[in-house]
Amino acid sequence: MKQHITRTLIFTGMMLAALAPSGLSAAEPEDVIKYRKNMMQAIGGHTSAAGAIVQGKVDYTPHLAEHARALQVLTKDIPALFPKDSDFGDTEAMDVVWTKRADFEKAAKTAKIRVAAFAKAVQSGNPQAITASFKDMGEACKGCHKDFRKEEK
Amino acid sequence: MHKRAAAWLYLSVVTPTLYAADDELPQGEYLFHAAGCATCHTQEDKKGPPLAGGRALKTAFGIFYTSNITPDPDHGIGRWSEVDFRRALREGISPDGKHYYPAFPYTSYTQLTDADLRALWKYLSNRKPVPQANKRHELPWYLRSRTALSLWKTLYFRPGAYQPPSDKLPAWNRGAYLVKAVAHCGECHTPRNFLGGFKQAQHLAGHPHGVDDTKIPNITPDRKTGIGKWSASDIAGYLETGMTPDGDFAGDLMTDVIDSSTSRLTRDDRRAIALYLKSLPAVESKKHKNDRKEKSQKRKKQDWE
Repeated sequence: MKQHITRTLIFTGMMLAALAPSGLSAAEPEDVIKYRKNMMQAIGGHTSAAGAIVQGKVDYTPHLAEHARALQVLTKDIPALFPKDSDFGDTEAMDVVWTKRADFEKAAKTAKIRVAAFAKAVQSGNPQAITASFKDMGEACKGCHKDFRKEEK
Repeated sequence: MHKRAAAWLYLSVVTPTLYAADDELPQGEYLFHAAGCATCHTQEDKKGPPLAGGRALKTAFGIFYTSNITPDPDHGIGRWSEVDFRRALREGISPDGKHYYPAFPYTSYTQLTDADLRALWKYLSNRKPVPQANKRHELPWYLRSRTALSLWKTLYFRPGAYQPPSDKLPAWNRGAYLVKAVAHCGECHTPRNFLGGFKQAQHLAGHPHGVDDTKIPNITPDRKTGIGKWSASDIAGYLETGMTPDGDFAGDLMTDVIDSSTSRLTRDDRRAIALYLKSLPAVESKKHKNDRKEKSQKRKKQDWE
């Protein structure tokens, strides 16, 4: 009887191991690409919203700090959104993202630094500093897209 | 008080024109940037000396290498006269009488006014000469002879300066002139037929396989496949900073255009471009039509299953 229970336990364990979610291993590349695109869209959403405030199109100045903080969180580790093997599929990322990794990481770091500078300017409340740092931030986005994003083929 | 206001008005309205007429160098420099000469006539990533050519333009017809347009006498335009320069841009003919391939956008530059051509010549002929030899284009055998180009030109090329329609506002005309002649937007954004002629009915409606094998977007006011949802200030803002209304940023080739051309225009000129683009007939891109066809077929298939 005892032996039977042990055998059942071992069998159940093996079945569970076989059925274990594959999420424990590497994620599917297309899911990574989708996640990356959503993150980029979130960055775009906050950038656009912050831009409308900075340019005086809308009067939501108290929201600006929230947008800046969100952007800091979202751009904390951009290279992590581009792991190996996520270069193939529905992506506009150029091969150089992986082949010139150091350059890519440098560009991502520039973006992160510029976002931090924008957040700091928002804290200071100085309109000129806010406008200037927002512009610098955009230059970093554009600079990275120029070298590392292919317009859809 | 009134006098001062009047003087201020006079200065702000009249001075720019006087300035331009007095001294053509700044006007030439402004045009030089607006027309994006340096973008194509300098090697990729600005690795080569400015304006010495050598940038590869990968097209459906082969690879064209841009030429040296510095005033170097042997490799550049150092021996050219102003008449040569005007003929090159207005008629697409080199000083020794050869037809240029339309990879050089004389199809747009032909619409530049005489005054602007002169200003541009003054600026270009005062650049630093660079003795860099030109590269040969890499073309299939049937395109290597330039004689076929004269036939192409009778089919697709209408030389002549831009004639502003009198029933349009000055800002609209300025925008049309900038888009069609100076910034030559259509060279990439207007689809071409299999012979490389523009499909005029689809003016600025984008190109699924454009230069360097990139997808060139539709910039007509179509709401689905174009930029119909963009306001005039969205367009002007994009041309200044590269940010789209949804917070995305331009990438790839357009970044060069924004950095070296449209961001250097005056605010009024960017507004004029926006005004003109908003006034265009909306054209739905073919790509999108196909997409929808595929989708509806798929749906039908699913219904069957």
